[in-house]
Amino acid sequence: MVKLDDIKKECKSILEEGKVKYIVGYKRNNNYYMSIPAFIEKIEETDQLIWDPTCVYNLVRFLRDEKLRKERQKTPDTRPIGVIVKGCDSRAINVLLQEKFIKRENVYIIGVACEKSGVIEKKKLRKKFNEKNIKQIEFGKDNNFIITTEKGKTTISAEEILAERCIECNNNTPVIYDVLLGEKVERSLSEHFRSLEKFESISTEEKWNFWKKELDKCIRCYACRSVCPMCYCDECIADSISLAVKPDTTAEEKAQKIRWVEKSPVSSENFSYHLIRALHLAGRCIDCGECERVCPVDIPLRYLNKKMEKEASEQFGYTAGLDPEKPALVSDFKDDDPQDFII
Amino acid sequence: MRKRIGFFICHCGINIAGTVDVKKVSEGLSKYPGVVHSEDYIYMCSDPGQSRMVEAIKEKKLDKVVIACCSPTLHETTFRNAAKVAGINSFQCEIANVREQCSWVHKDMKKATAKAIKISKAAIERARLNESLEPISVPVTRRALVIGGGISGIQSALDLANSGYEVILVERSPSIGGHMIQLSETFPTLDCSQCIMTPKMVEVSKHPKIKLLTYSEIQEVAGYIGNFKVKILKKPTYVDPDKCTLCDECTKVCPVAVPNEFELGLTRRRAIYIPFPQAIPATYTLDINNCPGLFPIACGKCADVCEPGAIDFDMKPEILEEEVGSIIVSTGYDLYGKEEMAEYGYGKYEDVLDGLQFERLLSASGPTMGKILRPSDHKEPKEVVFIQCVGSRDPELHCAYCSKICCMYTAKHAMLYKHHVHDGQPYVFYIDIRSGGKDYEEFVQRAIEEDGVIYLRGKVSKIFQEGDKIKVWGVDTLSGKVIEIDADMVVLAMAMRPSEGASELAKKLKIALDKDGFLAEAHPKLRPVESLTSGMFLAGAAQAPKDIPEAVAQASGAAVKAVNILSQDRLYHSPTIATVNLTLCTGCGMCVDVCAYEAIKLEEGKAVVNEVLCEGCGTCSATCLRAAIKVKNITPLQVHEMIKVALGG
Amino acid sequence: MEEKFEPKIIAFLCKWCSSAGSDLAGVSRMKYPPNVVPITVMCSGSISPNYILSAFKDGADGVLVSGCHPGDCHYIKGNYYARRRITLVKELLEFIGIEPERFQMSWVSAAEGAKYTEIIKDFVKELEPLGPQNKLRSNL
Repeated sequence: MVKLDDIKKECKSILEEGKVKYIVGYKRNNNYYMSIPAFIEKIEETDQLIWDPTCVYNLVRFLRDEKLRKERQKTPDTRPIGVIVKGCDSRAINVLLQEKFIKRENVYIIGVACEKSGVIEKKKLRKKFNEKNIKQIEFGKDNNFIITTEKGKTTISAEEILAERCIECNNNTPVIYDVLLGEKVERSLSEHFRSLEKFESISTEEKWNFWKKELDKCIRCYACRSVCPMCYCDECIADSISLAVKPDTTAEEKAQKIRWVEKSPVSSENFSYHLIRALHLAGRCIDCGECERVCPVDIPLRYLNKKMEKEASEQFGYTAGLDPEKPALVSDFKDDDPQDFII
Repeated sequence: MRKRIGFFICHCGINIAGTVDVKKVSEGLSKYPGVVHSEDYIYMCSDPGQSRMVEAIKEKKLDKVVIACCSPTLHETTFRNAAKVAGINSFQCEIANVREQCSWVHKDMKKATAKAIKISKAAIERARLNESLEPISVPVTRRALVIGGGISGIQSALDLANSGYEVILVERSPSIGGHMIQLSETFPTLDCSQCIMTPKMVEVSKHPKIKLLTYSEIQEVAGYIGNFKVKILKKPTYVDPDKCTLCDECTKVCPVAVPNEFELGLTRRRAIYIPFPQAIPATYTLDINNCPGLFPIACGKCADVCEPGAIDFDMKPEILEEEVGSIIVSTGYDLYGKEEMAEYGYGKYEDVLDGLQFERLLSASGPTMGKILRPSDHKEPKEVVFIQCVGSRDPELHCAYCSKICCMYTAKHAMLYKHHVHDGQPYVFYIDIRSGGKDYEEFVQRAIEEDGVIYLRGKVSKIFQEGDKIKVWGVDTLSGKVIEIDADMVVLAMAMRPSEGASELAKKLKIALDKDGFLAEAHPKLRPVESLTSGMFLAGAAQAPKDIPEAVAQASGAAVKAVNILSQDRLYHSPTIATVNLTLCTGCGMCVDVCAYEAIKLEEGKAVVNEVLCEGCGTCSATCLRAAIKVKNITPLQVHEMIKVALGG
Repeated sequence: MEEKFEPKIIAFLCKWCSSAGSDLAGVSRMKYPPNVVPITVMCSGSISPNYILSAFKDGADGVLVSGCHPGDCHYIKGNYYARRRITLVKELLEFIGIEPERFQMSWVSAAEGAKYTEIIKDFVKELEPLGPQNKLRSNL
């Protein structure tokens, strides 16, 4: 397992050398057991950094904020920012590079291999522990997590509280980095798309009932969109906008907005929103699980994206974020792409 | 501004009115928002019908019209022209297809009428959001570029020049003529190739409209149809053709001898050389790669003996920039190489030759002055085995395609061999005989019947040398007999393949290649001389294996296609093209990837559409995740509105 | 008496092949049910998933996307991109429990009037037992 000291050492050294403006990593959130994102500018702040199974966040999201900030500044500091990425997160960087949203020189990538472990899923954790009692979760030996509560330390097999996406992950080592910490180890904890099986074997009506129940809960808070590193558009087509409103935009032009999705959180519009989102993330989603993590009403959003990931992989041999030089899933084709469903 | 829309529905006699209640449609649509005029008429496309529309536009100050009638493929242009006559932009006229897609395919009048109303409303919604557009026009540079100086390039260049257009003919070797000038006699007439080729080469060199650039290569191509900008690298020959008197003194003193490309390595040439006596331009070239050295001058003997002082060691490569309106690519073919065909002993045994080498042996001006002699010992071969389909029609190991000309030239080779060596015996191993073409079948029959060529159907299994014989083992699949021939010479009918460097050139030109690496035509049947890049055309074996008459025909076809462009003052292009909302565009470049016409580029992080190259297919628009690109007059908003009303609103 | 369910179908047809094919059905006076309203677009490659979702939201009981056969696209390769894009839409719709019969894609050439006729006939027949599509339909 990656040593926290190695991460700190690397971060110190790049800050010392002035290679990066600041580093986005993880730190402790006061006494709470979950980590939070940390923005490390000074060498002494590197001591705040942590690396444990609660480092769930995909920090690549902050590259967008940085880009926007830089665009607003007159004389921006053009040095890259450092970002700590897991295997999944690193693929997000590749997608952003593929879509020319960022440039390689804008980011210093500190890759951290998950090796045979990963991050926790709160839902699973809650089933086993009273969250309030948890002080800390650490990586233990032999794929275990060590959970510290008021009563002391408990060792638990990682798989019991490991995020489902980590169990299904086959990119446990970053695919792009400036420095790689930890070891590149092969692992297959599970079938890559195992969690989808339970959906694919049920009847059409059962599928519908499931998703109807889930998506009807959506309150359209757009947290899923806000947290997603791929949702970097200034204007989302789900916001009934196909045209940017400027001071000189006429009423007629405003009327030319297409309302693909209405704002009301009703069934039809929720479906439209989430289906368009899934399609827009096809070939781009790297399964960092952030959308599902932030959903206040616990919609299992990940499965919609996972389904697209599965079809991309099985029908078109495409995996998001592996090669920034290749065309995207939907801007490419093979002559012999499957077409059995076409009449 | 409020839209004032006029709606017209045509009875088309009873073609529409028989199934669709046109009165009801007209009445229903008269109350539709924005519609200020609605009527039905028996034949809208007739003169009185069109006049009614024109009058209504004028009288009621209509700014848009929708005509519910037959398919837009039939009368869209008619009504758009009429709309223009009435003073509104032709794109303010839309067609609702209520005949082919409604009245003719349904029986139930009530249902057909309801559907016709939906179709009409959809057309009105589309029209409501149509922009007024004018055709895009660009000026044309009325000159052409022809790449490759073989028979195809020569034919295209001459046809263009004789039509009055300036042509730049670029050839990478020191002389034009291509492979055809290497041939001895041509099937099925057996006329001498050089005799029919040299006059054309001379015509090229003398033509006031043709600028010939030999020893030159295309470096860069930019621009688009009508307006290409080309950079051409002219390599130094170190010989001033105007001063050179062709005295040949230089070659006598040159100390270097390298394989002669024109004679396919059967003889050697000097570092300073003329490719062949009839070369055009008629001058010498100093081959810098084989010269002992110019920087500093290591030898310099050629310059010492050159009386007219034609040799100039200070000559430098030049980059010429030319502007042309159209480009013809005729880069020809190469034969499959010896590296690939080791199994037949090619490149290993001196007396195993390829078809072009045998042409040189047959040629009166060739290395043996037209006598057929073995390269190894200069003896006359008495038994010669010709093998067809060497490398062709072999999808597992070599090329899957048929090289097309080999059946015929093998018959010719065998026949000519017999004409030279009366007591010799030619054998031909073949899979099939493909002799489609004028007088071709008769020619093959003549070889068999009159010249006694023995045709053996089957493949050769082994070739090896034993003593001074080349043993050829094979099976005659017709008789089932094992064949063993002690041959004196073996001639391989090698597969044709795209000439070396063709794929790099295609990349520069942005012309697509087919699976075999030949230049891809725009449509296999209907657009065989056009490339997928508009303004660029294909001629000759660069596109697919073909013989001389086919190459010449395609070359002339390509020339006419180029004239189509060059004869215009301006090129007009449909204005219904993609347009980018720069605020929404994030510069991801997915539209660039999907555009089949390379019409979109990223400039400063935003997509920019070349309006001349864009064909308006809209694939970019469906691909764009930001809805930042759309095709004018069939925008997502228009489709969105059409969907609504098509479903009953 | 209860009225027979008449499924509403939107057919997105590319201009060069499928719309021309449906024109041919008309010229040949073939007959198919009037349940389908065609919307002709330039190329199947231009059909955005938004169009399909929009049609279902606006109450379509079935949606058809039709383009030129592979290799025949008027715009060279638009239908290949469409094939990928539409595959994803189709899989996603089925995944969330939309009856697979409701969304179809076909290749119809300009010569295939008869094929278009059959596709529409079959489509209507398949949709009838399913009843109205209310899952994605908007009530707003």
